[in-house]
Amino acid sequence: MLLEIEDLGKTYGAVSALSGVSLAMDEGEVVGVCGDNGAGKSTLMRIVAGAQPPSRGAVRLRGKPVRFTGPRDALTAGIAAIYQDLALAVDQSVYQNVFMGSELVRRSWVPGLRTLDKRAMRERSREYLARLGIELESVDAPVNRLSGGQRQAVAISRALRWEAALVIMDEPTAALGVREKARVLDLVRKLKETGVSVLLVSHNMDDVVAVTDRVVILRGGRLQGEVATADIDADRLSHMVMSGRMQ
Amino acid sequence: MQDLLKRFGTVIAYLVLFTVLAASADNFLDPYNLLSILKHVSFLTIIALGFTLALAAGELDLSIAHVASLSSVCAAALLFNDYPIVFAMLAGIGCGTALGLFNGLVVTRMRIPSLIATLAVSTIANGLAYLITGGVAYVGRLDTAFLVFGRGNVLGVPAMILWMGLTVALTLFLLKRTRTGVHLVCTGEAEEPARLAGIRTRRMKLLGLGLSGLLAGVTGVLLTSSLSSSSPAIAGEYLMTGIAAVLLGMTTIEPGKPNVVGTLIGALTIGTLRNGLTLLGAQYYVQDIVLGVIIIVSVSASARELRKVAFSVPH
Repeated sequence: MLLEIEDLGKTYGAVSALSGVSLAMDEGEVVGVCGDNGAGKSTLMRIVAGAQPPSRGAVRLRGKPVRFTGPRDALTAGIAAIYQDLALAVDQSVYQNVFMGSELVRRSWVPGLRTLDKRAMRERSREYLARLGIELESVDAPVNRLSGGQRQAVAISRALRWEAALVIMDEPTAALGVREKARVLDLVRKLKETGVSVLLVSHNMDDVVAVTDRVVILRGGRLQGEVATADIDADRLSHMVMSGRMQ
Repeated sequence: MQDLLKRFGTVIAYLVLFTVLAASADNFLDPYNLLSILKHVSFLTIIALGFTLALAAGELDLSIAHVASLSSVCAAALLFNDYPIVFAMLAGIGCGTALGLFNGLVVTRMRIPSLIATLAVSTIANGLAYLITGGVAYVGRLDTAFLVFGRGNVLGVPAMILWMGLTVALTLFLLKRTRTGVHLVCTGEAEEPARLAGIRTRRMKLLGLGLSGLLAGVTGVLLTSSLSSSSPAIAGEYLMTGIAAVLLGMTTIEPGKPNVVGTLIGALTIGTLRNGLTLLGAQYYVQDIVLGVIIIVSVSASARELRKVAFSVPH
């Protein structure tokens, strides 16, 4: 088992955002997380990605308990996240964003001192973007000059760069056009083929049904239930999310 | 063309200022005067580069001047009590670094905005400097082997200009060529995205403020060496001029961002302007008025960035 979450909870003062959520994921499995606004999807995602500490509960990665003190711990452990707001530094260039936090370095003429390998970062950024079918005029362009779809590709490229075992995507297709959306869903399938697990948080039921193996439904911070994707269609899933009834 | 003007407008303004002063102020182009400008600008550049690094990490350091004065006083007190030169210099620089790190800890651990935290630490540093000196200045009686650091020449070039060149080169290298430098800048430009991308942002803020303290310490020790004296107010003027140099620097080269070459240009502009106004017979208060105007104009050009850092609390 790649990821096991047990009795996870998160409270903000008197408000409970997540309560008693348990979930397990296999290697190469794509799991959808659905729920209405305030269901606890983003909180769950942020805890697994190390962006927030849980108030209680346990997370195990390949059977070992993990306690992330920040996103870096999660990234190092093999969990990369793509946030809904993309979490990009918009004044910085494409390649700087792709490699933010994990810049490539090379040896310098001063023993023991490593300097940035900008050429390698530019080349690798182009490769990552090409995997998503995105070609940019220049990877030196600041992100604030890119379209929504291109920005999404930069954020996904950053997650690919970590070569993670689990990629968490929060509404990855929300800002995309039809063609770009198809590419992102293709990428999810490709990740699965290469053994990478994906936790897909989405409001778009068509997307969820198109690429996931099963779906967990959250409601009011609690796990409502889970269902194999093969047994449902988008309308049925939508009904489950809205009504909170799994039948 | 518009982009070039945006990036190099301040440089062009500096060249115009230089030309006007060359044409109107007697002795402005005298090599001795030009070297004097560069020497004065050296102290300003070194201390302002510290402020630049703190700002690059998204924090203000309003303690630079009093920390530099305290470092100067520490070094001078040890030298006047016949401690070895190297020990006194390291103690002065160490004092600045320690206070810089203390600033960083107050900001990152106690989550107090740097605007307030560094102002408080500045007051503490000022009080400590008066405590050490008892309110009097240390004057003269310093070993020539110590004075050479601030007054010496290497192949005709004043040592201070070389210290400035070295500091510019090192800070430029840090920010542009190293992973740590990039993390520092990412922290200042987009703190939450940087944190989510795995950058240890609080550590970067600690580093930025620590380096600011270190460079304030270096400035204090070099001032002592150059002036062969020390007092609790020795670096007092460098708070406003230092900030003005950095803000002016943010209008050029990389507009809107604290940047090393911009700070150097800002320091050169302020140093040249002060020298020119003095040669033209302007009173010191006119220089203060001009400095204030420079700060307002610079801030208006990069207001978004500054508003972001001035009142932010670290995550």
